[in-house]
Amino acid sequence: MGPLVVNEIITENANLFLAFLIGIGFGFVLEVNGFSSSRRLAGMFYGYDTTVLKVFFTGAIVAAVGLLFMSLFNWIDLSYIYINPTYLWSSLGGGVIMGAGFILGGYCPGTSVCAASIGKLDAMAFLGGIVIGIFIFIEGFPMWEGFYNAKFLGSPLLSDIFGTSRGLITFLIILVALGMFWVGEWAEKHFARDDYKLNQK
Amino acid sequence: MKARLILAAIIIPLGMIIAAVPENTTKQFRLTANELLEEVKDGTQFLQPDEVADMLIQKDPTLQLIDVRDADQYEKFSLPNSINIPLVDILNPEWKEYINQDVKLNVFYSNGTKNANEAWMITRQLGFENNYVMLGGLNYWVETIMNPEKPASTSPDEEIAKYNFRKGAGAALGGAAVNTQPSTMKKSSKPPISKRKKKKKVQGGC
Amino acid sequence: MNPYLGGVLLGLVLILAFWVSGRGLGASGAVKSAVVAGVDLVAPGHAENTAYYKDYHESHPSPLKSWLVLEMLGVLVGGFLSGAIAGRLKFRVEKSPKITNKTRIIFAVIGGIFFGFGSQLGRGCTSGSALTGMAVLSLSGFLSMAAIFGTAFALAYFARKLWI
Repeated sequence: MGPLVVNEIITENANLFLAFLIGIGFGFVLEVNGFSSSRRLAGMFYGYDTTVLKVFFTGAIVAAVGLLFMSLFNWIDLSYIYINPTYLWSSLGGGVIMGAGFILGGYCPGTSVCAASIGKLDAMAFLGGIVIGIFIFIEGFPMWEGFYNAKFLGSPLLSDIFGTSRGLITFLIILVALGMFWVGEWAEKHFARDDYKLNQK
Repeated sequence: MKARLILAAIIIPLGMIIAAVPENTTKQFRLTANELLEEVKDGTQFLQPDEVADMLIQKDPTLQLIDVRDADQYEKFSLPNSINIPLVDILNPEWKEYINQDVKLNVFYSNGTKNANEAWMITRQLGFENNYVMLGGLNYWVETIMNPEKPASTSPDEEIAKYNFRKGAGAALGGAAVNTQPSTMKKSSKPPISKRKKKKKVQGGC
Repeated sequence: MNPYLGGVLLGLVLILAFWVSGRGLGASGAVKSAVVAGVDLVAPGHAENTAYYKDYHESHPSPLKSWLVLEMLGVLVGGFLSGAIAGRLKFRVEKSPKITNKTRIIFAVIGGIFFGFGSQLGRGCTSGSALTGMAVLSLSGFLSMAAIFGTAFALAYFARKLWI
Protein backbone atom coordinates (compact mmCIF):
# COMPACT_ATOMS: atom_id res chain seq x y z
CA MET A 1 0.00 0.00 0.00
CA GLY A 2 2.50 2.59 1.10
CA PRO A 3 4.48 4.61 0.24
CA LEU A 4 1.49 6.18 -1.44
CA VAL A 5 3.35 8.26 -3.99
CA VAL A 6 5.56 5.39 -5.12
CA ASN A 7 2.58 3.16 -5.74
CA GLU A 8 0.88 6.01 -7.57
CA ILE A 9 -2.07 6.05 -5.24
CA ILE A 10 -1.65 9.80 -5.03
CA THR A 11 -0.27 12.18 -7.64
CA GLU A 12 2.91 14.19 -7.45
CA ASN A 13 0.97 17.36 -6.68
CA ALA A 14 -1.02 15.70 -3.94
CA ASN A 15 2.30 14.56 -2.54
CA LEU A 16 3.50 18.16 -2.40
CA PHE A 17 0.29 19.25 -0.73
CA LEU A 18 0.63 16.49 1.84
CA ALA A 19 4.23 17.59 2.37
CA PHE A 20 2.81 20.91 3.48
CA LEU A 21 0.43 19.20 5.92
CA ILE A 22 3.18 16.94 7.22
CA GLY A 23 5.29 20.05 7.69
CA ILE A 24 2.53 21.64 9.75
CA GLY A 25 2.49 18.56 11.95
CA PHE A 26 6.27 18.61 12.22
CA GLY A 27 6.40 22.30 13.08
CA PHE A 28 3.61 21.97 15.59
CA VAL A 29 5.23 19.03 17.36
CA LEU A 30 8.59 20.80 17.46
CA GLU A 31 7.15 24.00 18.85
CA VAL A 32 4.86 22.39 21.37
CA ASN A 33 7.85 20.49 22.75
CA GLY A 34 9.85 23.66 23.13
CA PHE A 35 12.28 23.09 20.27
CA SER A 36 11.79 26.75 19.47
CA SER A 37 13.91 27.64 22.47
CA SER A 38 17.64 27.72 21.90
CA ARG A 39 18.39 27.57 25.61
CA ARG A 40 16.37 24.41 25.86
CA LEU A 41 18.15 22.91 22.85
CA ALA A 42 21.54 23.83 24.26
CA GLY A 43 20.43 22.59 27.67
CA MET A 44 20.89 19.06 26.45
CA PHE A 45 24.64 19.59 26.30
CA TYR A 46 24.88 20.94 29.84
CA GLY A 47 22.37 18.56 31.33
CA TYR A 48 20.00 21.17 32.74
CA ASP A 49 17.25 20.36 30.23
CA THR A 50 17.26 17.11 28.29
CA THR A 51 13.82 17.47 26.75
CA VAL A 52 15.32 17.55 23.28
CA LEU A 53 17.15 14.30 23.84
CA LYS A 54 13.94 12.64 25.02
CA VAL A 55 11.77 13.91 22.21
CA PHE A 56 14.35 13.23 19.53
CA PHE A 57 15.10 9.67 20.52
CA THR A 58 11.51 8.80 21.39
CA GLY A 59 10.59 9.99 17.91
CA ALA A 60 13.31 7.87 16.33
CA ILE A 61 12.44 4.66 18.17
CA VAL A 62 8.70 5.08 17.71
CA ALA A 63 9.22 5.61 13.99
CA ALA A 64 11.62 2.67 13.73
CA VAL A 65 9.24 0.29 15.51
CA GLY A 66 6.25 1.72 13.68
CA LEU A 67 7.80 1.25 10.25
CA LEU A 68 8.67 -2.35 11.00
CA PHE A 69 5.15 -3.10 12.19
CA MET A 70 3.66 -1.42 9.16
CA SER A 71 5.89 -3.52 6.96
CA LEU A 72 4.78 -6.61 8.86
CA PHE A 73 1.14 -5.81 8.14
CA ASN A 74 1.98 -5.05 4.50
CA TRP A 75 0.99 -1.41 4.89
CA ILE A 76 4.29 -0.12 3.60
CA ASP A 77 6.97 -1.57 1.40
CA LEU A 78 10.26 -0.79 3.09
CA SER A 79 12.22 -1.50 -0.05
CA TYR A 80 10.82 1.68 -1.55
CA ILE A 81 11.65 4.13 1.17
CA TYR A 82 14.61 6.42 0.95
CA ILE A 83 17.70 5.27 2.81
CA ASN A 84 20.40 7.88 3.25
CA PRO A 85 23.55 6.82 1.46
CA THR A 86 26.69 6.54 3.55
CA TYR A 87 29.79 8.45 2.55
CA LEU A 88 31.92 7.77 5.56
CA TRP A 89 34.18 10.82 5.68
CA SER A 90 31.70 13.45 4.65
CA SER A 91 29.07 12.04 7.05
CA LEU A 92 31.49 12.33 9.95
CA GLY A 93 33.09 15.59 8.81
CA GLY A 94 29.74 17.19 8.14
CA GLY A 95 28.49 15.96 11.51
CA VAL A 96 31.45 17.48 13.35
CA ILE A 97 30.93 20.84 11.65
CA MET A 98 27.20 20.69 12.41
CA GLY A 99 27.95 19.86 16.04
CA ALA A 100 30.09 22.99 16.31
CA GLY A 101 27.30 24.99 14.71
CA PHE A 102 24.79 23.51 17.13
CA ILE A 103 26.61 24.53 20.29
CA LEU A 104 27.49 28.00 18.97
CA GLY A 105 24.15 28.79 17.38
CA GLY A 106 21.82 26.85 19.61
CA TYR A 107 19.58 25.61 16.81
CA CYS A 108 19.53 23.16 13.99
CA PRO A 109 17.92 24.03 10.66
CA GLY A 110 14.49 22.55 11.38
CA THR A 111 14.21 24.04 14.84
CA SER A 112 15.45 27.43 13.68
CA VAL A 113 12.62 27.65 11.14
CA CYS A 114 10.21 26.64 13.87
CA ALA A 115 11.63 29.24 16.28
CA ALA A 116 11.65 31.93 13.61
CA SER A 117 7.94 31.31 13.12
CA ILE A 118 7.20 32.49 16.65
CA GLY A 119 9.43 35.53 16.35
CA LYS A 120 12.79 34.49 17.81
CA LEU A 121 15.27 36.95 16.36
CA ASP A 122 18.28 34.76 17.10
CA ALA A 123 16.65 31.98 15.07
CA MET A 124 16.26 34.33 12.13
CA ALA A 125 19.94 35.24 12.43
CA PHE A 126 20.77 31.54 12.53
CA LEU A 127 18.73 30.96 9.38
CA GLY A 128 20.64 33.75 7.69
CA GLY A 129 23.82 31.99 8.73
CA ILE A 130 22.60 28.73 7.18
CA VAL A 131 21.97 30.53 3.90
CA ILE A 132 25.54 31.88 3.96
CA GLY A 133 26.95 28.46 4.90
CA ILE A 134 25.13 26.69 2.08
CA PHE A 135 26.17 29.40 -0.36
CA ILE A 136 29.82 28.95 0.65
CA PHE A 137 29.45 25.20 0.21
CA ILE A 138 28.00 25.54 -3.28
CA GLU A 139 30.44 28.16 -4.47
CA GLY A 140 33.47 26.30 -3.21
CA PHE A 141 32.15 22.87 -4.16
CA PRO A 142 35.08 21.90 -6.43
CA MET A 143 37.40 22.33 -3.43
CA TRP A 144 35.66 19.72 -1.28
CA GLU A 145 34.14 17.58 -3.99
CA GLY A 146 36.75 14.86 -3.44
CA PHE A 147 36.12 14.73 0.29
CA TYR A 148 32.35 14.92 -0.30
CA ASN A 149 32.35 11.77 -2.41
CA ALA A 150 35.07 9.82 -0.63
CA LYS A 151 34.57 6.39 0.91
CA PHE A 152 31.13 5.65 -0.47
CA LEU A 153 29.68 2.59 1.24
CA GLY A 154 26.31 2.35 -0.47
CA SER A 155 23.23 2.63 1.70
CA PRO A 156 23.87 0.10 4.42
CA LEU A 157 21.59 -0.35 7.39
CA LEU A 158 22.91 -0.88 10.86
CA SER A 159 21.40 -4.36 10.72
CA ASP A 160 23.46 -5.13 7.59
CA ILE A 161 26.63 -4.07 9.36
CA PHE A 162 25.99 -6.31 12.34
CA GLY A 163 24.51 -9.07 10.21
CA THR A 164 21.31 -9.32 12.20
CA SER A 165 17.64 -8.48 11.72
CA ARG A 166 16.18 -5.00 11.73
CA GLY A 167 13.88 -6.00 14.55
CA LEU A 168 16.68 -7.01 16.87
CA ILE A 169 18.67 -3.85 16.15
CA THR A 170 15.59 -1.77 16.81
CA PHE A 171 15.05 -3.52 20.12
CA LEU A 172 18.64 -2.83 21.15
CA ILE A 173 18.30 0.81 20.17
CA ILE A 174 15.16 1.05 22.28
CA LEU A 175 17.10 -0.22 25.27
CA VAL A 176 19.94 2.24 24.64
CA ALA A 177 17.47 5.10 24.26
CA LEU A 178 15.66 4.26 27.49
CA GLY A 179 19.02 4.13 29.24
CA MET A 180 19.81 7.61 27.92
CA PHE A 181 16.46 8.91 29.13
CA TRP A 182 17.26 7.66 32.58
CA VAL A 183 20.63 9.43 32.51
CA GLY A 184 18.91 12.54 31.15
CA GLU A 185 16.42 12.69 34.00
CA TRP A 186 19.20 12.21 36.47
CA ALA A 187 21.18 15.02 34.82
CA GLU A 188 18.22 17.40 34.95
CA LYS A 189 18.22 17.11 38.73
CA HIS A 190 21.98 17.14 39.06
CA PHE A 191 22.66 20.12 36.78
CA ALA A 192 19.51 22.08 37.56
CA ARG A 193 19.96 25.84 37.31
CA ASP A 194 18.49 28.66 39.32
CA ASP A 195 18.01 30.92 36.33
CA TYR A 196 16.38 28.25 34.22
CA LYS A 197 13.09 26.57 34.90
CA LEU A 198 12.10 23.36 33.14
CA ASN A 199 9.17 23.76 30.76
CA GLN A 200 9.52 27.50 30.81
CA LYS A 201 7.48 29.55 28.44
CA MET B 1 9.63 10.17 35.57
CA LYS B 2 6.38 8.27 35.33
CA ALA B 3 6.00 8.98 31.64
CA ARG B 4 9.31 7.29 30.99
CA LEU B 5 8.07 4.13 32.66
CA ILE B 6 4.84 4.20 30.66
CA LEU B 7 6.84 4.64 27.46
CA ALA B 8 9.13 1.79 28.46
CA ALA B 9 6.17 -0.43 29.34
CA ILE B 10 4.74 0.04 25.86
CA ILE B 11 7.77 0.21 23.65
CA ILE B 12 9.86 -2.58 25.15
CA PRO B 13 7.22 -5.29 24.49
CA LEU B 14 6.69 -3.90 20.99
CA GLY B 15 10.42 -4.01 20.43
CA MET B 16 10.57 -7.58 21.66
CA ILE B 17 7.77 -8.60 19.32
CA ILE B 18 9.42 -6.95 16.34
CA ALA B 19 12.75 -8.52 17.24
CA ALA B 20 11.13 -11.95 17.46
CA VAL B 21 9.02 -12.02 14.30
CA PRO B 22 10.72 -12.71 11.01
CA GLU B 23 11.12 -9.75 8.74
CA ASN B 24 8.52 -9.22 6.09
CA THR B 25 10.38 -9.51 2.85
CA THR B 26 7.47 -10.14 0.51
CA LYS B 27 7.41 -7.55 -2.17
CA GLN B 28 4.05 -6.14 -2.94
CA PHE B 29 4.84 -5.58 -6.53
CA ARG B 30 2.21 -4.12 -8.69
CA LEU B 31 2.73 -2.74 -12.13
CA THR B 32 -0.01 -0.41 -13.21
CA ALA B 33 -1.64 -1.12 -16.56
CA ASN B 34 -0.03 2.06 -17.86
CA GLU B 35 3.45 1.04 -16.82
CA LEU B 36 3.03 -2.34 -18.45
CA LEU B 37 1.77 -0.69 -21.61
CA GLU B 38 4.80 1.59 -21.64
CA GLU B 39 7.12 -1.38 -21.43
CA VAL B 40 5.23 -3.27 -24.12
CA LYS B 41 5.37 -0.21 -26.35
CA ASP B 42 9.08 0.22 -25.80
CA GLY B 43 9.63 -3.43 -26.63
CA THR B 44 12.65 -3.55 -24.35
CA GLN B 45 11.83 -7.16 -23.57
CA PHE B 46 12.73 -8.31 -27.07
CA LEU B 47 16.05 -9.80 -28.06
CA GLN B 48 16.95 -10.40 -31.67
CA PRO B 49 17.70 -14.03 -32.63
CA ASP B 50 21.16 -12.84 -33.63
CA GLU B 51 21.84 -11.69 -30.09
CA VAL B 52 20.63 -14.99 -28.69
CA ALA B 53 22.73 -16.95 -31.19
CA ASP B 54 25.76 -14.92 -30.32
CA MET B 55 25.34 -15.63 -26.62
CA LEU B 56 24.80 -19.31 -27.31
CA ILE B 57 27.97 -19.56 -29.35
CA GLN B 58 29.98 -17.71 -26.78
CA LYS B 59 28.53 -20.03 -24.17
CA ASP B 60 27.46 -17.05 -22.15
CA PRO B 61 26.81 -18.56 -18.71
CA THR B 62 24.15 -15.99 -17.92
CA LEU B 63 21.89 -17.07 -20.75
CA GLN B 64 18.95 -19.27 -19.83
CA LEU B 65 16.69 -20.21 -22.72
CA ILE B 66 13.17 -21.14 -21.71
CA ASP B 67 10.91 -22.98 -24.12
CA VAL B 68 7.30 -22.11 -23.36
CA ARG B 69 5.78 -24.54 -25.87
CA ASP B 70 4.29 -27.78 -24.63
CA ALA B 71 6.43 -30.80 -23.82
CA ASP B 72 5.77 -32.65 -27.12
CA GLN B 73 7.07 -29.87 -29.23
CA TYR B 74 9.99 -29.38 -26.91
CA GLU B 75 10.92 -33.06 -27.32
CA LYS B 76 10.95 -32.76 -31.09
CA PHE B 77 13.05 -29.68 -31.34
CA SER B 78 14.52 -27.19 -28.94
CA LEU B 79 17.41 -24.83 -28.74
CA PRO B 80 20.59 -26.00 -27.03
CA ASN B 81 20.57 -25.84 -23.24
CA SER B 82 17.01 -24.69 -23.03
CA ILE B 83 14.57 -25.78 -20.37
CA ASN B 84 10.90 -26.40 -20.91
CA ILE B 85 8.33 -24.40 -18.97
CA PRO B 86 5.02 -24.71 -20.85
CA LEU B 87 3.06 -21.47 -20.79
CA VAL B 88 0.03 -23.09 -19.12
CA ASP B 89 2.26 -24.24 -16.33
CA ILE B 90 4.19 -21.04 -15.78
CA LEU B 91 2.58 -20.15 -12.45
CA ASN B 92 3.53 -23.48 -10.97
CA PRO B 93 5.63 -22.65 -7.89
CA GLU B 94 8.11 -25.27 -9.07
CA TRP B 95 9.37 -22.85 -11.72
CA LYS B 96 9.53 -19.82 -9.57
CA GLU B 97 13.21 -20.09 -8.86
CA TYR B 98 13.89 -20.08 -12.59
CA ILE B 99 11.75 -17.12 -13.58
CA ASN B 100 12.21 -14.98 -10.51
CA GLN B 101 15.93 -14.48 -10.06
CA ASP B 102 18.52 -11.86 -10.78
CA VAL B 103 21.49 -13.90 -11.87
CA LYS B 104 20.60 -15.21 -15.29
CA LEU B 105 19.17 -13.64 -18.34
CA ASN B 106 16.04 -15.60 -19.16
CA VAL B 107 14.92 -15.69 -22.77
CA PHE B 108 11.47 -17.07 -23.49
CA TYR B 109 10.82 -18.51 -26.91
CA SER B 110 7.94 -20.23 -28.65
CA ASN B 111 7.16 -20.89 -32.29
CA GLY B 112 6.20 -17.30 -32.92
CA THR B 113 6.51 -14.31 -30.64
CA LYS B 114 3.07 -14.47 -29.13
CA ASN B 115 3.27 -17.20 -26.51
CA ALA B 116 6.69 -16.17 -25.34
CA ASN B 117 5.52 -12.62 -25.00
CA GLU B 118 2.53 -13.76 -22.95
CA ALA B 119 4.89 -15.56 -20.63
CA TRP B 120 6.90 -12.38 -20.29
CA MET B 121 3.80 -10.30 -19.54
CA ILE B 122 2.78 -12.66 -16.76
CA THR B 123 6.19 -12.69 -15.14
CA ARG B 124 6.55 -8.96 -15.55
CA GLN B 125 3.24 -8.33 -13.85
CA LEU B 126 4.49 -10.44 -10.97
CA GLY B 127 7.41 -8.07 -10.75
CA PHE B 128 10.10 -10.47 -11.91
CA GLU B 129 13.10 -9.03 -13.66
CA ASN B 130 15.61 -10.32 -16.16
CA ASN B 131 13.09 -12.04 -18.40
CA TYR B 132 13.22 -11.43 -22.12
CA VAL B 133 11.56 -12.65 -25.30
CA MET B 134 13.25 -13.88 -28.45
CA LEU B 135 11.71 -11.88 -31.23
CA GLY B 136 10.07 -13.92 -33.96
CA GLY B 137 10.44 -17.18 -32.09
CA LEU B 138 11.67 -20.41 -33.60
CA ASN B 139 10.13 -19.71 -36.99
CA TYR B 140 12.22 -16.64 -37.41
CA TRP B 141 15.19 -18.41 -35.86
CA VAL B 142 15.12 -21.17 -38.45
CA GLU B 143 14.62 -18.66 -41.20
CA THR B 144 17.47 -16.37 -40.25
CA ILE B 145 20.00 -18.41 -38.34
CA MET B 146 19.61 -21.84 -39.82
CA ASN B 147 18.91 -20.88 -43.41
CA PRO B 148 20.10 -17.36 -43.87
CA GLU B 149 19.37 -15.78 -47.18
CA LYS B 150 22.44 -14.63 -48.97
CA PRO B 151 22.27 -10.91 -49.58
CA ALA B 152 23.01 -9.48 -52.98
CA SER B 153 26.66 -8.68 -53.39
CA THR B 154 25.74 -5.04 -53.72
CA SER B 155 24.29 -4.98 -50.22
CA PRO B 156 25.89 -2.83 -47.59
CA ASP B 157 28.73 -4.36 -45.63
CA GLU B 158 26.65 -4.82 -42.50
CA GLU B 159 24.22 -7.01 -44.35
CA ILE B 160 27.03 -9.23 -45.55
CA ALA B 161 28.62 -9.35 -42.14
CA LYS B 162 25.28 -10.30 -40.65
CA TYR B 163 24.88 -13.03 -43.24
CA ASN B 164 28.31 -14.42 -42.50
CA PHE B 165 27.59 -14.38 -38.82
CA ARG B 166 24.31 -16.17 -39.27
CA LYS B 167 25.86 -18.78 -41.51
CA GLY B 168 28.60 -19.39 -38.99
CA ALA B 169 26.16 -19.44 -36.12
CA GLY B 170 23.85 -21.80 -37.94
CA ALA B 171 26.73 -24.15 -38.56
CA ALA B 172 27.94 -23.96 -35.02
CA LEU B 173 24.47 -24.61 -33.71
CA GLY B 174 23.84 -27.60 -35.91
CA GLY B 175 22.22 -26.16 -38.98
CA ALA B 176 23.10 -26.95 -42.59
CA ALA B 177 26.81 -27.50 -42.83
CA VAL B 178 28.24 -24.78 -44.94
CA ASN B 179 31.81 -23.97 -45.65
CA THR B 180 32.28 -21.00 -43.45
CA GLN B 181 34.27 -18.19 -44.79
CA PRO B 182 36.74 -16.68 -42.39
CA SER B 183 33.93 -15.52 -40.26
CA THR B 184 33.77 -11.86 -39.50
CA MET B 185 31.68 -12.70 -36.56
CA LYS B 186 30.65 -9.44 -35.13
CA LYS B 187 30.78 -9.14 -31.44
CA SER B 188 27.33 -7.97 -30.83
CA SER B 189 27.12 -5.77 -27.88
CA LYS B 190 25.70 -7.49 -24.87
CA PRO B 191 21.98 -7.33 -24.63
CA PRO B 192 20.85 -4.83 -22.12
CA ILE B 193 20.60 -6.37 -18.69
CA SER B 194 20.31 -2.89 -17.36
CA LYS B 195 17.72 -2.59 -14.68
CA ARG B 196 14.58 -1.06 -15.96
CA LYS B 197 13.17 1.95 -14.32
CA LYS B 198 11.74 0.74 -11.08
CA LYS B 199 8.56 2.58 -10.31
CA LYS B 200 9.13 6.07 -9.12
CA LYS B 201 12.36 7.04 -7.56
CA VAL B 202 12.06 8.25 -4.02
CA GLN B 203 14.14 11.27 -3.34
CA GLY B 204 15.16 12.24 0.09
CA GLY B 205 17.70 13.70 2.36
CA CYS B 206 18.24 17.27 3.19
CA MET C 1 3.71 18.76 26.84
CA ASN C 2 5.38 15.74 28.29
CA PRO C 3 8.54 15.13 26.25
CA TYR C 4 7.86 11.42 25.80
CA LEU C 5 4.37 12.06 24.51
CA GLY C 6 5.86 14.73 22.27
CA GLY C 7 8.40 12.22 21.01
CA VAL C 8 5.68 9.72 20.18
CA LEU C 9 3.88 12.41 18.18
CA LEU C 10 7.13 13.27 16.38
CA GLY C 11 7.56 9.59 15.55
CA LEU C 12 4.02 9.43 14.17
CA VAL C 13 4.63 12.46 11.93
CA LEU C 14 7.79 10.78 10.68
CA ILE C 15 5.95 7.53 9.95
CA LEU C 16 3.28 9.50 8.10
CA ALA C 17 5.95 11.09 5.93
CA PHE C 18 7.33 7.67 5.08
CA TRP C 19 3.92 6.23 4.39
CA VAL C 20 2.86 9.06 2.13
CA SER C 21 6.07 9.95 0.37
CA GLY C 22 8.56 7.22 1.10
CA ARG C 23 10.92 9.66 2.71
CA GLY C 24 11.56 11.21 6.06
CA LEU C 25 11.58 14.78 7.26
CA GLY C 26 14.20 17.31 6.32
CA ALA C 27 15.08 20.94 6.68
CA SER C 28 18.37 22.14 5.24
CA GLY C 29 17.47 20.92 1.74
CA ALA C 30 14.69 23.48 1.66
CA VAL C 31 17.13 26.26 2.49
CA LYS C 32 19.40 25.00 -0.27
CA SER C 33 16.53 25.16 -2.75
CA ALA C 34 15.94 28.72 -1.66
CA VAL C 35 19.63 29.57 -2.05
CA VAL C 36 19.71 28.09 -5.56
CA ALA C 37 16.51 29.88 -6.52
CA GLY C 38 17.97 33.11 -5.15
CA VAL C 39 21.16 32.76 -7.16
CA ASP C 40 19.09 32.02 -10.27
CA LEU C 41 17.25 35.26 -9.71
CA VAL C 42 20.19 37.49 -8.85
CA ALA C 43 22.90 36.07 -11.08
CA PRO C 44 21.42 33.77 -13.73
CA GLY C 45 24.62 33.82 -15.75
CA HIS C 46 26.64 32.59 -12.82
CA ALA C 47 24.15 29.79 -12.15
CA GLU C 48 24.41 28.65 -15.75
CA ASN C 49 28.17 28.51 -15.69
CA THR C 50 28.70 26.68 -12.42
CA ALA C 51 28.60 22.90 -12.48
CA TYR C 52 26.94 22.58 -9.10
CA TYR C 53 23.91 24.67 -10.04
CA LYS C 54 23.60 22.88 -13.35
CA ASP C 55 23.59 19.49 -11.67
CA TYR C 56 21.10 20.72 -9.15
CA HIS C 57 18.76 21.98 -11.83
CA GLU C 58 18.94 18.68 -13.61
CA SER C 59 17.69 16.82 -10.57
CA HIS C 60 15.35 19.61 -9.43
CA PRO C 61 13.69 21.25 -12.45
CA SER C 62 12.00 23.89 -10.32
CA PRO C 63 13.91 24.31 -7.08
CA LEU C 64 11.10 25.87 -5.08
CA LYS C 65 8.43 23.36 -6.05
CA SER C 66 9.98 20.61 -4.00
CA TRP C 67 8.81 18.39 -1.20
CA LEU C 68 11.16 19.87 1.35
CA VAL C 69 10.29 23.47 0.57
CA LEU C 70 6.59 22.79 1.05
CA GLU C 71 7.28 20.80 4.17
CA MET C 72 9.30 23.70 5.61
CA LEU C 73 6.53 26.16 4.77
CA GLY C 74 4.32 23.81 6.75
CA VAL C 75 6.76 23.96 9.66
CA LEU C 76 6.47 27.76 9.66
CA VAL C 77 2.68 27.48 9.81
CA GLY C 78 2.69 24.66 12.35
CA GLY C 79 5.17 26.39 14.63
CA PHE C 80 3.21 29.61 14.41
CA LEU C 81 -0.05 27.84 15.28
CA SER C 82 1.45 26.14 18.31
CA GLY C 83 3.09 29.37 19.43
CA ALA C 84 -0.17 31.26 19.01
CA ILE C 85 -2.13 28.69 21.03
CA ALA C 86 0.42 28.77 23.84
CA GLY C 87 0.84 32.54 23.71
CA ARG C 88 4.51 32.46 22.81
CA LEU C 89 4.41 34.78 19.81
CA LYS C 90 6.84 37.57 20.51
CA PHE C 91 9.83 39.13 18.79
CA ARG C 92 12.70 38.54 21.13
CA VAL C 93 16.23 37.21 21.48
CA GLU C 94 16.71 34.23 23.70
CA LYS C 95 20.03 34.00 25.48
CA SER C 96 21.87 33.44 28.67
CA PRO C 97 21.52 36.41 31.03
CA LYS C 98 25.31 36.83 30.96
CA ILE C 99 25.70 37.90 27.36
CA THR C 100 24.37 40.78 25.31
CA ASN C 101 21.87 40.47 22.50
CA LYS C 102 24.56 41.44 20.04
CA THR C 103 26.86 38.62 21.12
CA ARG C 104 24.01 36.17 20.88
CA ILE C 105 23.09 37.25 17.34
CA ILE C 106 26.71 37.13 16.18
CA PHE C 107 27.14 33.60 17.51
CA ALA C 108 23.80 32.56 16.02
CA VAL C 109 25.01 33.66 12.60
CA ILE C 110 28.34 31.88 13.04
CA GLY C 111 26.54 28.75 14.20
CA GLY C 112 24.23 28.98 11.23
CA ILE C 113 27.15 29.21 8.82
CA PHE C 114 28.70 26.12 10.34
CA PHE C 115 25.43 24.25 10.32
CA GLY C 116 24.58 25.24 6.77
CA PHE C 117 27.97 24.16 5.50
CA GLY C 118 28.02 20.96 7.54
CA SER C 119 24.54 19.94 6.50
CA GLN C 120 25.55 20.06 2.86
CA LEU C 121 28.78 18.19 3.44
CA GLY C 122 27.02 15.55 5.56
CA ARG C 123 24.07 15.26 3.15
CA GLY C 124 21.50 16.21 5.70
CA CYS C 125 20.97 17.91 9.00
CA THR C 126 19.62 16.71 12.32
CA SER C 127 16.18 16.09 10.81
CA GLY C 128 17.10 14.83 7.37
CA SER C 129 20.07 12.72 8.26
CA ALA C 130 20.11 11.95 11.98
CA LEU C 131 16.41 11.62 12.89
CA THR C 132 15.20 10.16 9.60
CA GLY C 133 18.30 8.05 9.15
CA MET C 134 17.93 6.56 12.62
CA ALA C 135 14.28 5.73 12.02
CA VAL C 136 15.22 3.61 8.99
CA LEU C 137 18.31 2.28 10.80
CA SER C 138 20.69 3.63 8.16
CA LEU C 139 24.36 3.68 9.05
CA SER C 140 24.76 7.27 7.91
CA GLY C 141 21.97 8.36 10.24
CA PHE C 142 23.76 6.97 13.26
CA LEU C 143 27.11 8.35 12.12
CA SER C 144 25.62 11.83 11.68
CA MET C 145 23.87 11.65 15.01
CA ALA C 146 27.01 10.55 16.82
CA ALA C 147 29.16 13.17 15.10
CA ILE C 148 26.73 16.05 15.69
CA PHE C 149 25.91 15.31 19.31
CA GLY C 150 29.41 14.12 20.14
CA THR C 151 31.01 17.30 18.84
CA ALA C 152 28.45 19.49 20.53
CA PHE C 153 29.09 17.74 23.84
CA ALA C 154 32.84 18.00 23.38
CA LEU C 155 32.66 21.73 22.66
CA ALA C 156 29.99 22.48 25.24
CA TYR C 157 32.55 23.43 27.88
CA PHE C 158 34.13 26.09 25.67
CA ALA C 159 30.81 27.61 24.72
CA ARG C 160 29.33 27.54 28.22
CA LYS C 161 29.31 31.33 28.56
CA LEU C 162 26.76 31.50 25.79
CA TRP C 163 24.21 29.39 27.60
CA ILE C 164 24.77 29.11 31.35
